[in-house]
Amino acid sequence: MKKINLAVISALIFAFALIWFSPILWMVSTSLKPEKYTIEWPIHWIPRSVTLENYYSVIFESVINIFRPFFNSIFIALAVIVLTLLTSSLAAYAFAQLRFKGQNVLFFLVISTLMIPEEVLLVPRYLLLYKFQMINSYNALILPMVASPFGIFLLRQFFLGIPRDLQDAARIDGCSKFRIYYQIILPLSKPALAALAIFTFLANWNSFTWPLIAIDSIELMTVPIFLATFHAFGVIMWGRLMAAVACVTLPILIFFCIAQRSIIKGITLTGLKG
Amino acid sequence: MRGIFSSPPPSYLLKVRTLKAKPKTRIKTGLEKSIGENSVFYPYLYLLPYALFFLIFWVYPLFDGFYVSLCRYDFAETQRTFIAFKHYISLPFDHLFRASLINTFLFVLETTPLIIGVGLAFALLLNLPFLKGKIVLRVLLISPFMLSMAAVCMTWEWILGPQFGLLNYYFSQLRLPTQTWLLERGWSLFAVVLTTLWWTVGFNTILFLAGLQEIPDVLHEAAKIDGAGRWSNFWYITLPCLRPVLLFIIVMQIIASFKIFGQIFIMTGGGPAESSRVMVQHIYETGFQYYRMGEASAIAWVLFVIIMVFTLAQFKVLSKQTIEY
Repeated sequence: MKKINLAVISALIFAFALIWFSPILWMVSTSLKPEKYTIEWPIHWIPRSVTLENYYSVIFESVINIFRPFFNSIFIALAVIVLTLLTSSLAAYAFAQLRFKGQNVLFFLVISTLMIPEEVLLVPRYLLLYKFQMINSYNALILPMVASPFGIFLLRQFFLGIPRDLQDAARIDGCSKFRIYYQIILPLSKPALAALAIFTFLANWNSFTWPLIAIDSIELMTVPIFLATFHAFGVIMWGRLMAAVACVTLPILIFFCIAQRSIIKGITLTGLKG
Repeated sequence: MRGIFSSPPPSYLLKVRTLKAKPKTRIKTGLEKSIGENSVFYPYLYLLPYALFFLIFWVYPLFDGFYVSLCRYDFAETQRTFIAFKHYISLPFDHLFRASLINTFLFVLETTPLIIGVGLAFALLLNLPFLKGKIVLRVLLISPFMLSMAAVCMTWEWILGPQFGLLNYYFSQLRLPTQTWLLERGWSLFAVVLTTLWWTVGFNTILFLAGLQEIPDVLHEAAKIDGAGRWSNFWYITLPCLRPVLLFIIVMQIIASFKIFGQIFIMTGGGPAESSRVMVQHIYETGFQYYRMGEASAIAWVLFVIIMVFTLAQFKVLSKQTIEY
């Protein structure tokens, strides 16, 4: 009896999870329908005729082409990740393992900016980049995102947890401080670095307000801005739109399925320590 | 034993001795003295790259932004005219600002309990011991948070569509009145709340799940022996143990909710009749559509102060009690 109960409960939970996930299925289903079948009642979850024309038009035709925004988003995210990991890990190493004057004050200054919502910086950053004539360029989307206080906080916390004995041993063997950084600290901090990379990626992948302000040429559009513009065309072709959405969604979803374990691990690491 | 000492050292020991490097006597150059490993300035070298970005894109804009908020500065003009706190004083009399303030608070009030409650519920579900196929379940429930915000908004706009939307289809099947979700006062903000819930709840679920798994089993077993039921077990063991995670999530959630903009911009545009207008949208429109930079910056600072007050208050209230195992 109890076994049957548990089975029923499991089935219910799975049914609910499937409903929860169904918007994604509906999106894929719509994207596979010819345009005229997208708006028909009663609804068909499984398309009556499957076509890839929506995908073809979104990927290859020139007017509403997803390729460029996709490339832009990935490129910007990767650039920010590389620069963030580099600068943050260097600074965090200094804060965690070296001794210098004003260490605590400086660290406190950096950490206190964690409280500042970046919305406060929209106007002055725009004015600054305008002065440098960097509005409407990759630089405008990459450079302001690099120095996040979160990275310093996370990495310093992790570096502090690395046993000192390792470094002392290395010191005795005549290892330089910089070599300790890149041959001991960095390899041991892979989980923290991966977590920071994932976070940086998500933040930039979703970044909306700043690109909306800093970019107005079509060549530089990121995915969120592209989708929002697509939407502003007036008459919405839902088949095309859902194909575009699927193009940017499915790779991420597949990535999540594969790297699930390490993504979750990374998030809990940052979340609980934070 | 004695034989070892009397005989000459074996050849491999000799080899080692010859391989050992002599201590180098290096002449310190001027550069090495000033930024070499033992100099006072050496640690600052590590800070330099970060500091460069930090000073240019955080510290300077912070001060400049506050100064701009004290000026009348239309983007067309080149001069900033200092007007002290005039922007701040006139803000409460602006009905658009008031609408955005109220809606933002409404949004925070609606999303925070909802997303945290559902997140906790999902985590409890995924933590059930008898459940099989958890990996699949996890993907189904959690994965939306990895998606792009814009993609999520588009999908939901399609589902909530007034004419051919999926939701209205099922409403009509169940003989419920169909809604024009995003075009109706009262519904539009709530539709954004639901979209945000669907999109972000996975993140909180992950954190809760980690918190749940850190609770020692001994506690639950001891409670069971003491005759605690499932409910009191949850109320007196699980929830208190989750307190640190809960504090973290509440703070993060409230901050994130105050900063809502993208979903509104894409799904409702603040409408209908400003009923879903929010603060960041007001900043965006004032600053970057009407180019009143000073006023936009003032609104941003008001938002900043509100978030600050909330964060500090929560830390005060929630961090008082600590857990004891």
